[in-house]
Amino acid sequence: MLEAMIEILLKTVVILALPLGALPLIIHVERRGAAFMQRRLGPNRVGPFGILQPLADVAKFMFKEEVHPTHVRPFFYTAAPMIALVVAILPLACIPVAAPFEAFGRTIFPEVFRSDMGIFFAFAASALGSYGILLAGWASNNKYSMLGALRACAQMVSYELSLSTSVVAMIFLYGTNDIHVMIAAQTGYWFGFLPKWGVFLQPVAAMLFLVGIFAESNRLPFDLAEGESEIVAGYHLEYSSMKFALFFMAEYIHMIALSALFIIMFFGGYSLLPGMELIVERAPILLAVLQVTSLIIKIGCMIWFFVWVRWTLPRFRYDKLMDLGWERLLPLGIANLIVTVLIVYFRNQ
Amino acid sequence: MAADIFLTILTVVFALMVVFSKKTVVSAFALLMTLLSLAMIFFQLGTVFLSAVQVLINAGAIAILFVFVMMLINLEQFPNNREKSKVKLVISTFTMLVVLGVFALVINNNIETLSVVNLTDNSMKALFDKLFNAYFLPFEMATVLLLAAIVACIVITTHEKHENEEELQILKTEEKL
Repeated sequence: MLEAMIEILLKTVVILALPLGALPLIIHVERRGAAFMQRRLGPNRVGPFGILQPLADVAKFMFKEEVHPTHVRPFFYTAAPMIALVVAILPLACIPVAAPFEAFGRTIFPEVFRSDMGIFFAFAASALGSYGILLAGWASNNKYSMLGALRACAQMVSYELSLSTSVVAMIFLYGTNDIHVMIAAQTGYWFGFLPKWGVFLQPVAAMLFLVGIFAESNRLPFDLAEGESEIVAGYHLEYSSMKFALFFMAEYIHMIALSALFIIMFFGGYSLLPGMELIVERAPILLAVLQVTSLIIKIGCMIWFFVWVRWTLPRFRYDKLMDLGWERLLPLGIANLIVTVLIVYFRNQ
Repeated sequence: MAADIFLTILTVVFALMVVFSKKTVVSAFALLMTLLSLAMIFFQLGTVFLSAVQVLINAGAIAILFVFVMMLINLEQFPNNREKSKVKLVISTFTMLVVLGVFALVINNNIETLSVVNLTDNSMKALFDKLFNAYFLPFEMATVLLLAAIVACIVITTHEKHENEEELQILKTEEKL
């Protein structure tokens, strides 16, 4: 009993510490990446390559004066950033960082919450993501905030539909809700060189999911919730210092969680990157370490992709965004789902 | 056991808040919390799938639409027009007592057979086997009931619109006269 509790506690700390520790790095990559795209230097003064800049930012956020506007609804105004961050962290609980391994005389599952319906639980948790934003916009008692929150909410609900169709298609294809089984089905190679990743089986679902991630995490080109040229800063207009930082963190962690789910379904999750098998053959003890490394590298690539898209594409107009979601992606997702179900049905017969 | 009691109290308190809160948005959030604590009860019982679906569909999609609509039309600007009449109070209390009595009778007589979901096997397969084989008719009846509710909603709202239009036309003709 005590051992199990210690295990859960350790896992929780690690799963919390990994993304929170990576956050400053990701923000730095974003800023330097933006500078790289725009042919300027970016923050490069604090520490080597400016790597300590995020620390300076954190210090600034902590010691900045906290402006608490008088016209807000106090309880919900304070609760909103916390809800946003907690809900963003929740899906990480079911994301495994490596295959189950034997240690200390027992099988250890490297995720906080082990369930054979992990993928369902992760999506259920990430479906709550819009509450923090909606609450912030309403509690701020400000027209711009309200508009931003309503935009964010409508956008998240609409894109969740097409995202769900792609998830359901993948669940049908693999015939399981268990993340470990899903990843096991993607381990290995076709024709000896092509990894058995889901993206090669279901490119349409992968595309739908990718677009869905951008809309769900409110990133450019879908960041209409913030839309600074139209509605100042959207839902976090009235927030300052650490409360604003919590929203900022929530956005990035939501991004990490959704990227991890994307990788689990379409890029083999923690399965080894091509070439790493050679190391494992010589030193099998390194398997778990290499799996964690593979997952981190894959997530890193996703984050870089996010930065790349952010500084390449302009923002959508709101009606075009809704058209894309409801008239293009949703029918495409349903068609893809029907085709997948038919194929799986006739394959199993 | 302590967790069960805590969750039950939590659910009931939030459910009461839905009804008795003065602010509509607070009611909507209390509804959300009721749904989430129900999901936690399911989780406590070991039915992970049910709890995930509860969060995904009820809390993640339906409650958000409630909150969204309430924020969009900003109900706070309308005065609270709940009528307080003694007749209503008596009738509602009586109805509640009858419903509670029926529940008590049913539960008392069927305490063994009531555990519909066999908790030892809570996989999706077992759940949907029960849903589509053993309890197919009640399940379909529930969908028909929902459909009826949707149709009723449309009928009621369009009817009101009609009346308003008629009133408007009457007003216009009066103005012309």
